[in-house]
Parts: sequence; C-alpha cells; structure tokens
Amino acid sequence: MASLRTTSRLFAASRPMFRPAFARTYATVEPTPSENPKMKTFKVYRWNPDQPSEKPQMASYDLDLNKTGPMMLDALIRIKNELDPTLTFRRSCREGICGSCAMNIDGVNTLACLCRIPTDTKSESRIYPLPHTYVVKDLVPDLTHFYKQYKSIKPYLQRDTPTEDGLEFRQSPEDRKKLDGLYECILCACCSTSCPSYWWNSEEYLGPAILLQSFRWLADSRDEKTLERKAALDNSMSVYRCHTILNCTRTCPKGLNPGRAIAEVKKMLAV
Amino acid sequence: MASFARSSLLRQTLAAPRSPFCKNVGVSQTVAFHASAKKQILPPLPQSVQGTMNDPAPVPETHPTHGSYHWSFERLVSVGLIPLTIAPFAAGSLNPVMDAVLCSLIVAHSHIGFQAAIVDYFPPQRVPKFRSLCNWLLRAFTLTTAVGLYEFETNDVGITEALRRMWTA
Repeated sequence: MASLRTTSRLFAASRPMFRPAFARTYATVEPTPSENPKMKTFKVYRWNPDQPSEKPQMASYDLDLNKTGPMMLDALIRIKNELDPTLTFRRSCREGICGSCAMNIDGVNTLACLCRIPTDTKSESRIYPLPHTYVVKDLVPDLTHFYKQYKSIKPYLQRDTPTEDGLEFRQSPEDRKKLDGLYECILCACCSTSCPSYWWNSEEYLGPAILLQSFRWLADSRDEKTLERKAALDNSMSVYRCHTILNCTRTCPKGLNPGRAIAEVKKMLAV
Repeated sequence: MASFARSSLLRQTLAAPRSPFCKNVGVSQTVAFHASAKKQILPPLPQSVQGTMNDPAPVPETHPTHGSYHWSFERLVSVGLIPLTIAPFAAGSLNPVMDAVLCSLIVAHSHIGFQAAIVDYFPPQRVPKFRSLCNWLLRAFTLTTAVGLYEFETNDVGITEALRRMWTA
C-alpha cells in the first residue's frame, strides 16, 4: 500500500474535495514513469481445460512492483488486466472476508488478498491452485466436495423447543464467548487442502474447516441436537483421521485454530 | 463453477490462442511443469460427484468401537505406557505382573499405530484386497510378537531385565 498512499498524498492538495462520480478510480496504481523499476517475476500455474491433452505449465510474468499494489491479488489482477487476460482466478472482496482467492503462494495456502508480495525482487514468486484439488482452470479449484461435506454437518441452528417469551433464542455472554474463534471461519478451504490426511482421505474425512464448523455448532448453547451431531461424527473416518499434524492452524489466513477445534471435538466425543 | 457447468460460448472464447498480448510484451514464457515419473503409486482417480452438486456428502453410520471408544482406548494406552516404561527402572525392582502389563500395552499400542497407517493409506474403495491383506499381516505380526514376548517373559529374563542388562553391559 505504501506506493499508493504516497502518490495519493502528493496529489491530495491539487484535488478537489469532492470528486464527481464518473471520475471514480480503481485500486490499480496510475502508471507513473519510474527511474528504478523493481521488476519481480511471478510464476503462475496454468492449465486450460479446453486443451486437456496439454500438460499444466508454469507461466512467467514480470511486473514492476512500483506500479503494482502491495498484495498478491493486486499483482494477479494486474497480470490479468495488462499482460494476459486469459489468466483465470477467483476473487471478490479483496479484503479477506469472502475466501474466494485462496491459493498456494510460495508454498503456503493463503488468501491472495491478504498475502503481501515479498519485496525481494531477486527471488520469483510461485503461485499454484490449492494443493490436491481438482483444478477447473488455472488457479480455480473445484470445491464441490468440500461444500457437500459442509452441507452434511447441517451447519444451522437445530432446535425444537421455543423460548419462554417467544422471542429470539438468547445466550449468556459466556456462552457467546465460546463461539469466538469459530464463527470467523470463511470456509476458504486453505486449511483442509493443507492437511495431508485430507489429501489422502478427502472422500470420507471431513477435514479441518468442516470440523471447525462442526465444533461451532456443537459448542453453541442454543443448539439442541448435540447428541445427533456427535453420533454423526462418531466413526473411524469423519474425525479420527486427524493426526494433529497442525498444518491447518499454521496456514489459516484468518489466524484461527482448527487443530484446537478438532481436539475439542475429540474430547466431547470421548467423554 | 465446475467444468461441466460452463457455457459452450465461453468455452469457444477460451479456446482462442492464449493471450495475443504476450507476444507484444514479451514477458510470458512457459516451462514444462511435470518432471515426475510416468508410473505413480495410486494416482488420483478422475473426479466423481456422488448425487447432485446440492446433495450433502453421505454421513457414515455411528461406530463408537471404531470412533470414540477406539480413540479413548488408544489415548489411555499411550498415557499408561509412560509411567509403565519408567517405573521398573525407577523402582529398581522386578515384577512379573508389571512386565506382563507393559508387554501387553506395547503390543496393543503398536497394533493400533500400524492399523491407523493402514486405514490412512489403503482406502477400501481403492485397494480392498491389499487392505485386507495388510490387516491380516498386521494381525499375524501382532500375534507373533505377543507369543514371542510371552515366551521371553516365561522362559527367559523378561524385557525389563534384558534392557537393564543391555544398558549396563
């Protein structure tokens, strides 16, 4: 963000206070002539489903970091805008709340919009889709099974008894506190696709993201189907393929702890 | 989202030669991606979606003996092994009952550990025969170990004394 802010401050004085609506600017930085271009190489995984006989390839793009925004997503958008419009990736909110731009950047699953471009221009940055997923195109993984698994844990409040006063289901501040660190999950699938157990057994093992959501509903004081939820998890594959590798906790771009949530699920099932 | 959901019009557009801009700018070059061997062990199968895209994934049946009871037992064995391994050497006394408990826990612990590896790496949908072969091999090895340890305990000095002698040899 540094370059963008300094340029905007420089021109702030000459600008009118209220800009007319049609002059809306975008997040890309204006191309200013720079004497010392900071050229960085980005290697991006490319695979086109329309040429299925061609193997996946790493395409290389050079960008001047002075003209690019600070985040990896800015670089990708700039590649798509200016260098190669066929590059395909998902993105939406550009601020780490939608989870669309989850990908493997320099060997770490993260959100492109939350990942700073390393300023070291000597080393190249390598961008892959989420590991061990079926690739739809380029950086777009197929998360169908992930969402089907999410649906299978019934991620909604299940309750039969109404409240005494007929108003909303309330909970104490202490009970609400139990959901902190769980409700923030945006289901970007970074943790699940970083888990070796999920790589081998994604058909049956639910994976860290879905188990964190499972625990979010097990821990909810308002939910009344805790026994059914526990029974659905009590088999050899759904939970117990977790071997506490903790790649999930290390990679979570939101700073959550799915490994701890799985441990809590195991404790709830054991007692 | 999935490949089959894309319209054919878009497909035609995408099939056009990749990026006419690249040649002008001269920044795009592609390198070979795959350097792996042709024969893979258990290569991933083509994607298959059970039911429609909107159906939930099937929920397995409840099996506490394979789930929570199994896990609790495994944890108890693992935790129990720590004091049992230290106790005979710390106490400095030989007790055949302690030896018997230690041996049976070691056998159970290693059996559960290898079993977890088989469950992890040999999915029954993929390699059902090889999985059952591995399971029977594991049972045979566990039985052999148990019998061997029993013989060692009854006809020889037992593992605690053997370890002590090796340590002080």
